Parts: sequence; C-alpha cells; structure tokens
Amino acid sequence: MARKGLQSLIRLARYTFMRAVAIFFALVVGIFLTIVIANMGGYVDKIKKAQVEESISMSVFTNPAYKNLTTEEKRELIDKLVALELERLGLDKPFIRLDRNFLRSRAFRYLIDALTLNFGFAEHIHSTSGSKRVWIIIKERLPYSVLLFTSANLIVFFTSIYVALVLSRRYGSIWDRLSVSLAPLSTAPPWFYGVILILIFAASLRLLPFGGFVSIPPPKSPFAYALSVILHMILPLSAWFISGIFASVYSWRTFFLIYSSEDYVEMARAKGVPGRELERRYILRPTLPPIITSLALMLISAWMGAIITESVFKWPGLGTLYMEAINSFDTPVIVGLTMIYAYLLGITVFVLDFVYALVDPRIKVGGGSAT
Amino acid sequence: MEALLKVEDLKLYFRTTKGVVQAVDGVSFELASHTAMVIVGESGCGKSSLAKAILRLLPRNTHTYTGKIYIDGIDAMSLSDEQFRRQIRWQKISYVAQAAMNALNPVIKVGSQVAEPLLIHRRMRKEEALRKVVETFQIVGVPTDFVDRYPFELSGGMRQRAVIAMALVTNPKLVILDEPTSALDVLTQANIMNALKRIKEEFELTYILITHDIATSSELAERAMVMYAGQIVELGNAGHFYLEPLHPYSQKLMASVPTLREDKELDFIPGQPPSLINPPAGCRFAPRCHKRFSACDREPPMVDYKDGRKIKCHLYA
Repeated sequence: MARKGLQSLIRLARYTFMRAVAIFFALVVGIFLTIVIANMGGYVDKIKKAQVEESISMSVFTNPAYKNLTTEEKRELIDKLVALELERLGLDKPFIRLDRNFLRSRAFRYLIDALTLNFGFAEHIHSTSGSKRVWIIIKERLPYSVLLFTSANLIVFFTSIYVALVLSRRYGSIWDRLSVSLAPLSTAPPWFYGVILILIFAASLRLLPFGGFVSIPPPKSPFAYALSVILHMILPLSAWFISGIFASVYSWRTFFLIYSSEDYVEMARAKGVPGRELERRYILRPTLPPIITSLALMLISAWMGAIITESVFKWPGLGTLYMEAINSFDTPVIVGLTMIYAYLLGITVFVLDFVYALVDPRIKVGGGSAT
Repeated sequence: MEALLKVEDLKLYFRTTKGVVQAVDGVSFELASHTAMVIVGESGCGKSSLAKAILRLLPRNTHTYTGKIYIDGIDAMSLSDEQFRRQIRWQKISYVAQAAMNALNPVIKVGSQVAEPLLIHRRMRKEEALRKVVETFQIVGVPTDFVDRYPFELSGGMRQRAVIAMALVTNPKLVILDEPTSALDVLTQANIMNALKRIKEEFELTYILITHDIATSSELAERAMVMYAGQIVELGNAGHFYLEPLHPYSQKLMASVPTLREDKELDFIPGQPPSLINPPAGCRFAPRCHKRFSACDREPPMVDYKDGRKIKCHLYA
C-alpha cells in the first residue's frame, strides 16, 4: 500500500514537472512572438533611428553654442552624436539574428528580460507620478481594469448561468426561443453598445457621465467618491453586459440542455429529487470542470483590460494603456502587459488541472485512468 | 382484490419535426398487488413510453398526455407535479431505468445516491439512511463497502444491482423495471433475475417488467402484456400466454423465441413495425398479419376471452 502510494506520488511529481515544462515552453514561444511583432520584426529600429537622427540634428542646428560651426562641421558632430546615442540605446546591434549569434541579438535579451519580469523603462509613456518604469505604470493602471472587468465578467457569468438553467428547464418556451433569436446581438462588440449608451444616457438624457473613472475634481468624502465611481461604472458595465450576455446565455443553455438529458438526471427526477437540488447535484455538479474553466479564464481576462471599450469610456485602465503603447511603439509596455497575462494564463491552466481532479472523481492527475 | 395500479385510456404523444408520434395510444389495464407483469413487444412499440407515462417522466417534446392513472387508490393524473413528486415518486412507484449503466451520477458516491430517496421522502438523517442502504445492498447482493465508491469503480452488474437497491430502499409498492438486464452478460442476467424474484417475495412487491427478452422474463412473469404500435394487443395470465398465445402477433412473437428440447423452426414476422406518426387505420398489425381478413380494415375491439384474457383482434370477436 505504502509502495503504491509512493509510486503514485512519483507519477504525480513527474506529471506536474512535465506539465509545467510544456506550459512554460508555450509561454516562451508566445512571448517571443509578441516581442518580434511589437518590434515589427526589427522595423521599429528604423523608426527609432530616424527619430534619434531628427532630434539630434534639430538640437545641433538650433543650439546657439554651435552657431559658429560650418555646415560640414555640424554634419560631422551630428553623425558622432547619433552614433553615440544609438550605441547607448543598443540600436547599433541588430534586433534579431537568425544564426548562431541569436543569443546575442536584442530580441533574445528582451525575451530573457520579459521572462524574468524585468520590463525596464517605457520609451514614451510615464505614470501619473512621473515614473517611466513599466512596472509602476502597469501597477497604476491595473486596479482600474481589474475593478471594472472583474465586476462585469462576474455579473455576466452568474446571470447567464442562472438564466440558462431556468431556460433549459423550459425548453421550447417563448423565453427560450427568444433567447435563441437574441443570441446574435452579442456579435456587436461592447464599445458599439458603449457608444449608443453614451449617446442616450450621457449626451441626450444627461443622467450619467460620458466617461472617466471619477468626477473631476474627485469628491472628498469616501462615500461620495465611491458613489461617483459607481456612477461612472454603470455605462461601461452595461455595455459589457449587453454585448456578452446573449451569447453566454445561449451557449450555457445549450450546454445545460445536453447535460440535463443524461440518464442519471432522469433517474433523479423519477426519485423525486426536488428541482433546485436536481440542478445543483445532477446538472451543475457533474459539469463543474468546464464551468470552473470558463470562470477562471473570464476572471484573468480582466487583467488584460479591453482596448477599445476602455478608450470609448476614457477608463484609465490597462486597455487604454495598451492603446497608447501600440500607438507610440512603446514596446517595453506592450511586452510587459502581454507577459503578465501570459504568466497568469499559464499558471491558471496549470492549476486548473489539479482543480479538475479535486471536483471530479473520474479525473486523476497524471492520467492514471480509473475505469 | 383491489388493483394496485389502474390505467385507463392512457395516451402519450410526442411532437417531432415529422409529425406527432403516438407512442402510447389508449392503453388501459389493471394490475393487482404482489403480481409481476411483463410487457413485451418489439423495439419502438411504446413499452418504455408507457413506463414513462406512468411515472410522469415526460420528455420536452410531449404533445398529448391524457388518461387516468390510479395508484394505490390515488388519482395520480389529478396531482400537480409537486404533489406527484411528494406522494408518488419512490413512495408508491420506483423505477429501474433502461440504461441503468448510466443511471448513477458519475460524481456522487453510490451510497449517497442510493440513500437520497430516504433523505427526501423519509426525512432520515444521513447516517441512518446509509445504514438502511447497507441493509438493502446486502439484500440485492452488493458488497457493503461499495457504499463509499463512485459509480465508475463498479462493474456493470454491480451498478445494476445498486440501481435496484435504490429502487427498493424506500419500500415502494410498485417497481417498474425497464429492461433491467439487457446490457449485461447472460450469467449476470440470470443472477439479477433470481435476485429480483427473491426480492419480490421478501418485500411483497408488484413488478412491471418491460423487456424484449421473452425467455428471461418467463422466469418472473405472472401476468403478460403484449404491446404493438403503442397499443395493447394481448393481456392475460402469463401461464396462458406463454403456452398458448392468442393474438396473431403474439403467436409470431413466441414462435421467434428458441426453446430447448423442442425441434422447432424459428419464425419471424415479415415487414417493419408501422410508423407511429401515421399508424394504419383499422388493425395496426393487419399489414403484417398472416391471418388477416376483410374485418381487419376496421379498428378491432378489445375482446374478453375466457380465463380473463383480453385480445385486441377480430378473430376472437
């Protein structure tokens, strides 16, 4: 017995290790692609070089100290300064080399920096406190996105699970058919509904603010502050909700319909298990793994923010930051944002494997099939 | 003797894209206490639908559900769903489903599932209920430590026995068994049939056994009902039925069952069972019947034959 226990422990450890390695490998590939894409395969170098040349020549030509130099001398000085600046920025070395010097290319160094969460400094963007450290910039924006999208996702998730359960019980009813025909409404993105909601509730009716996180100037008392934040959250939450709820209800309804025609559900009904309990023990309980997966992925997606929706509502979160970073080729910020999400996703997927084994006795970690 | 179960003109129709399926079409019968009735018929003749109609396990596409059902003196059709759940389900009738292999929730321990009816209907405490489950497991022949196992850890035969234990745990009067052994090997089948026979005596149960396995069912049956195309075509004592079936369909059906120590040519019925969407007018078996005559174009009456047998055929009118 003890021997068997030890064996399964070894198997578990080996599985855990292999799984971690596989996830990490996928993560490295993903983040490397992000680095290459964010730098446009090295094209960003050219843009930066041009920017450096332009700004240095501007400063030399406008600097009164160099007024007496000839054009020839100024050219020489500029070339020297540009070379110095490019070296300082590391732009004298190639972005990527697909030969045995790959490990010395900047792309590889960026990769190592990203994996060790050493994001360095932003190129242009800075935090409200004035720092250019990517970590500080991200940390400043993170709470806004997490607050808005965690609430939005939780509301969508639990509403749709509840409504879907009710609908799956009333298959073919008017409400059920209505939910099926409304599902395509979710093809429009949240910002589309956002624009409409702003037009109605902010522009026409003047009931709610156009955007932002809190009114300006921010209210002094904590209560008034919270109230103002909630007022600012109503429209983005509603836009997110309207865009997400229909497809979510539809897919969960279909999911529950399939699982509520299992033989054991009918058996439980024959036994006289009351409706609530039937749903809890015979429909939700056996389908927990996919439900938990969906919830977990939804929750971490809040850590990405939503690029366009945040911009529409001027929400000061990660999505807006993403937008700014992409527009200004601020690759350290782009890579930093992507890296955090990549790690979160990797860890979530890794942990979910163990959660499945906890909630479903048929699943054994390590694939030791039971039947 | 007062009938335990009385069914009058029961109808259960389903809505499908092709039309309305008349799965159970005007079924009437009575069943006395402590008897075992076997219902035989081809696949798709409405046997299982009849069971579901009695249990009010209606699928989502139910079109018509009418008739009268009296269980132990209670007018079941007049009860609301909630009343039916409280008064009938597992109180009066329990059920062993056709696919008993999948009749257990895969993520809940067997013991806790078998105990569930006691918690719901008898308001027992969990420990007390589990003691009763262990007792019932001993009766049906399930090792008592299986209480703590999950369904996937049990063999098919053991799962089947656990489901039977679940049907017995609240001592209901009537147990409806829908092909309880069809997915099992022959040895396990015989084992379970013997267990069912023993349990029937011990608990003074009434059985409705639905099967297409005529040979195995003869072990248990006291009454026999033959269904064809959603209707009863023959009803009577099992002894009479197995020796001398009267309806042409029953005769053909029995002729298709191999017997030992008898040199007989196995027979079959030509043609296909009729579609239940637009069943033929008149006698539904007429197109396949070897004894049909002019009267068969008309709906045959339910004829009372001697020994209390009933046959739906013009031949006996």
